[in-house]
Amino acid sequence: MNTSEVEGTYFRRVSRWKLIIILLLVALFVTVIVSLNIGYAQIPFTNILAALAKQIPLLNNYIDSSLVLPRESAIILQIRLPRIIAGVVVGAALAASGVVYQGVFKNPMADSYILGVSAGAATGASFSLLFGSGTLIFGLRLVQIAAFLGALFAMILVYNISRVGSRVPVATLLLCGIAVNFFLYAVVALLEVIAGDELHAIVFWLIGGFSNVLWADIWAVLPFIAVGISVVYFYSRDLNLLALGEETAQHLGVNVERVKQILLVFASMVTAAAVSLSGLVGFVGLMVPHITRLVIGPDHRILFPASTIVGAIFLVVCDAIARVIATPFASTLELPVGIITMLAGAPFFIILFRKKKQSYAL
Amino acid sequence: MVVLNVDGIECRYGSVKVLENVGFSVKEGDFVGILGPNGSGKTTLLKSISRTLKPYRGTILLNEADIYSLKSVDVARQLAVVPQDSSIGFNFAALDVVLMGRNPHLSRFQMESSKDLDIAKKAMMLTNTWQFAERPINELSGGERQRVIIARALAQEPKILLLDEPLTHLDIINQLEIMDLVKSLCVNEKLIVLAVFHDLNLAARYCTSAIMLKKGKIFAAGSLEEVLTSENIKSVFDVDAIVKRHLVTNSLFVIPLSPQKAPPSRKCAIHLICGAGTGTAIMKALVDEGYSVTAGVLNVLDTDFETAQFLKIPVVSEAPFSPITEKAHKDNLAMIEKASTVVVTSVPFGFGNLQNLEAAVVALEQGIPTFVIDEVPIESRDFTKGKAKALLAELKSKGAVFVKDKTELLSLLSVSAEKLNVAKEEKARFLAHLKPEIQDKGESN
Repeated sequence: MNTSEVEGTYFRRVSRWKLIIILLLVALFVTVIVSLNIGYAQIPFTNILAALAKQIPLLNNYIDSSLVLPRESAIILQIRLPRIIAGVVVGAALAASGVVYQGVFKNPMADSYILGVSAGAATGASFSLLFGSGTLIFGLRLVQIAAFLGALFAMILVYNISRVGSRVPVATLLLCGIAVNFFLYAVVALLEVIAGDELHAIVFWLIGGFSNVLWADIWAVLPFIAVGISVVYFYSRDLNLLALGEETAQHLGVNVERVKQILLVFASMVTAAAVSLSGLVGFVGLMVPHITRLVIGPDHRILFPASTIVGAIFLVVCDAIARVIATPFASTLELPVGIITMLAGAPFFIILFRKKKQSYAL
Repeated sequence: MVVLNVDGIECRYGSVKVLENVGFSVKEGDFVGILGPNGSGKTTLLKSISRTLKPYRGTILLNEADIYSLKSVDVARQLAVVPQDSSIGFNFAALDVVLMGRNPHLSRFQMESSKDLDIAKKAMMLTNTWQFAERPINELSGGERQRVIIARALAQEPKILLLDEPLTHLDIINQLEIMDLVKSLCVNEKLIVLAVFHDLNLAARYCTSAIMLKKGKIFAAGSLEEVLTSENIKSVFDVDAIVKRHLVTNSLFVIPLSPQKAPPSRKCAIHLICGAGTGTAIMKALVDEGYSVTAGVLNVLDTDFETAQFLKIPVVSEAPFSPITEKAHKDNLAMIEKASTVVVTSVPFGFGNLQNLEAAVVALEQGIPTFVIDEVPIESRDFTKGKAKALLAELKSKGAVFVKDKTELLSLLSVSAEKLNVAKEEKARFLAHLKPEIQDKGESN
């Protein structure tokens, strides 16, 4: 490799990263628009765009939305859009936290649910579905609040069990996460056994999906996810250094224990917020970071934002499939998106992995 | 002026004390080797200096500031570490890994500038890694990867460089190149280098001073000459070693001898007629086999003489570069009398040492079994116009056993050792009659 070529590549790197982000954002926008068109009711694209533009201040004066039926407008804005935005938010959150966990643990099997967050959320959600189904607190469904608190509780539990003095060794953290996961899933299983009519709701929640998502539910979790993702992004170079090993990262000036603490707490918060909205959508937090890394490499400064957007795209696409795939058999049946992520994601991942396995190492 | 002060530190893993009361001070331009056997606390010492293992007691001061009260990033700007083994989690390009060395010099949101790239490039040029800058780090060989890691440490632009067995994965040319590089940085850039070495010779070649650890304590510290002595090596590593100054490199070098096994005790005394280094290996082998060995006549300064001194073998000696005098010859004969076997090595013969060969003839005449190692043809080592050749022929005719090398000698000796032991008493009686005659013969020569 020619010397100036190597340097040239590195100088162009920043602009290349910007380009990747812009392209991904465009792809996300297109995905959202296309996915708004998918559903039982057929609504033309022009009407979709008009209905959306009508919602944008200043622009709305120039839009003639007389052709858009009020019914169509309601389907777009109150049913499909919140569901799609929920997909964007949850997909982004799970992929972002997956990147963090894989980076901190240096373990290819690490995903968003590794620290007991999922099991904690599941426990909280199952309790609330069993004993307080339909209760609203500050306009939010109890199940959402319970799942969020359950997730945070599990994370705090795992973190404190693993702590040795002021240090939190990742190996201990991993094992404690697994132990707490098992314990809490046992509690969930117990609740499932004693549940009667609510069993259906619990099972649906555990698979994960976006049916009946309301704008209020999204607004409730968005701040946690936005803040969490932003904070973690500030630490993306530290994630690179952690990949060299904790001791080396420290030798290179990273305050390892503190950075690890910040990363894990915020990533867990992001995951907790996401699962409280959607239930346990699987595979996004494991696969999306892997897929993105295979394509654009291991540098977290681009990997983290890119994975976040890819996660959003991935989940919106899966949800669109979930909404229509069963319609030939039963016109109004919508599958939970969790089934699609697991069904579609695994083979895709295996194909990609086998194709590039020579050059891929974690 | 950068100074690193380690003051009375004690390190523990749990309740196990690994370092105790270790203290020293190093300044710019010092290249300090940390030596000691496995488990003596070398790596622990580096860990505590690199802020990985906080000492239980004592302080480590970097320019009078306690390194454990400084921020990681402030320490990392001055101190770089090359670890023993470095596996990297994700498959970064080599250049990416080196650029990570710039981390302590960048603020949180800063991207690497062209200046950082230049520094990384320079470090990679120095370590001969620039040609694979874009290759994924996990596809490089162990040696290449280690050089990339050293480049990363250099990209930190440190004042202090800690090396923990940095050359384990490197072949000999890379070892020398990397150490030459580190040495030149130490001299020219006034770096402090602290390096753990297993290879005492590499330490001897590059360090200016050394710290020798034994069971977590400093056993010896100071200049290389003070620390690297065969006495210290014996007490710390429990290995006999020869320490010498090398003629070409002018640095000390260490030749470890195989650790002293409890030798089988043989009551057999062997007298060696050797010189010019031909007896060195045999002396060591015989001593290891448990024979009691004597040698003579050897000139002082002869390699064999030095070996004998080292192995504490009794020797009849002669002044340097001098022919064997009558007195030395007699002493030699007296020593031969006490021996149960005589061995003549393939030593070259000149008029200065021809008497040694005559002594062998005497030994044979006294009934002492004599072995001649005939590795090198006598024609090529006879500088006495055929006299040595004639004497050797005489030895052969009188029943000396000719062997082709050391191995054959040792196997023959081990077979006959017991037999010789028995024969010894008989020989003593026989000798009593012959003695006057031998002495006459000695004088007439």
